[in-house]
Amino acid sequence: MSKQLGFLHNSEKCVGCRGCEIACKNEYQIEATPQWRKVFQLHEDDFSLPTRMFFSMACNHCAHPECLRVCPVKAYTKREDGIVIHDPNRCIGCRLCTMACPYDRPQINPAKKKVEKCNLCYQRIDQGEKPACVTACIPGALELVEINDSLDQKTGILKTLPGLPSPKITSPSIRFIGPKQGKQIRRD
Amino acid sequence: MGDWEWPLILFTVLGQIAIGIILMLWWLARNRNLNIQLFKRGVHVSGGLLLIALLASLFHLGHPEAAYRALAHLGSSWLSREILFFLLTFLAWIYLFRLSRQQTSSHTLGSGASIITTAETAAGGQPTSNLSLGLGITSLLGLLGIASSAMIYVLPRVPAWNNGGPVLFFLLTTGLLGALCTLVLGGNLLQTAQKKLLLQVSLGCTIFSLILSVIYGSMLSASMEGAASLNYHLSSPLFWVRALVSWLAPLLLLVIILKSPDLGKKNLILTVTLLVGLGEILGRALFYLSATGIQITALF
Ligand code: SF4
Ligand code: SF4
Repeated sequence: MSKQLGFLHNSEKCVGCRGCEIACKNEYQIEATPQWRKVFQLHEDDFSLPTRMFFSMACNHCAHPECLRVCPVKAYTKREDGIVIHDPNRCIGCRLCTMACPYDRPQINPAKKKVEKCNLCYQRIDQGEKPACVTACIPGALELVEINDSLDQKTGILKTLPGLPSPKITSPSIRFIGPKQGKQIRRD
Repeated sequence: MGDWEWPLILFTVLGQIAIGIILMLWWLARNRNLNIQLFKRGVHVSGGLLLIALLASLFHLGHPEAAYRALAHLGSSWLSREILFFLLTFLAWIYLFRLSRQQTSSHTLGSGASIITTAETAAGGQPTSNLSLGLGITSLLGLLGIASSAMIYVLPRVPAWNNGGPVLFFLLTTGLLGALCTLVLGGNLLQTAQKKLLLQVSLGCTIFSLILSVIYGSMLSASMEGAASLNYHLSSPLFWVRALVSWLAPLLLLVIILKSPDLGKKNLILTVTLLVGLGEILGRALFYLSATGIQITALF
């Protein structure tokens, strides 16, 4: 694998509008239940000062994807650019990947009895476009980035946030810019 | 928390009973004194159970018609390996079935009409080694299948499963129910020493299962998710029914049976088997129901 694409989410910019969620649903005409991308609210008491902040998460295209390891039908493949693709044509709906992913990102589509997840809009990326969620994010809180050492060495780049599973399990390809204490964006 | 996974409960428990029976037959055959009627009965019952188990497993899939594809990822998926080993076990069982068909009941050796040995005359005049080898290979493949089944659940995401617990518990079910079901199938066809041995295996597995469960339970509190699994068990009435019917009652009854001069009445052994069977089904249901994975705890 020559590189690893992933997401960078900036909680300081995110207003929790869920535009990314809707853009994803719209792009793929996803049925009601599966949520390939989802916006979460951080627990206020996880920080020293009260704060109302959000983060947005889809499949993290992990460096060590548990979904890919456990799937018996090889429905998952990891591309040269690090994108983990799920092929619904191969899926037999055993649901093992839904048990193995700590982020609950592969989700069963009850109508099709198969699993679905974010494929990082690889077809858009192959045409030089950005993923639908990134394009839809009005404050620019969600970016497509290359995960590498130089990104990780930048000040303020976090590998995890409070309330997330340990990144040691699958090495997710997502980085965060956490909320700055004291500043608040309320959305009640 | 998980769901009532009936197809998986049936697949794992019935598959383990089937392989447990074959394993016990193999054990009994090692001294060349396996009763041929028992061999036949055991092979037929285990085959039936294996078939039901394999069919039940299909109901877990969203697309059972494409189940054959599950063999595609032997390199890293324990589910693929499980399917492979169970299919191989079934093929090996077909060989046992053929041996059992070749066998006529005229091979009576020993002191009584019901005591038939496998020596030379067994398996339709084939050497005993064929039968023993068949049982051995089927058992070994079956045990590999069971270990692979257990390894499916060894997931870093689920702390309660991410240890040796699933493999040990699955193998204990195999030994315990295998021995008890062989006792039930054997009845008077078993020699006293064989009966005693099977009862001792059952008692040993029950004691080991109880001790292991206590150690395992105390280890679960090390993580938040493990503690949630433990709490689920302790607060569920199903767990206490399971403790009663598959640990306490069998312990008591097996000791009574072992102490009685005639090694217990048939009905008593059948009662223990049914109680343990129910307990193992409840235990397996709780295994799935209590599964708590590491997950995003932020609000949504
Ligand atoms: S987030 Fe989950 S589904 Fe996506 S690659 Fe990682 S383990 Fe697989
Ligand atoms: S549900 Fe589909 S994608 Fe997931 S492990 Fe099973 S076969 Fe693979």
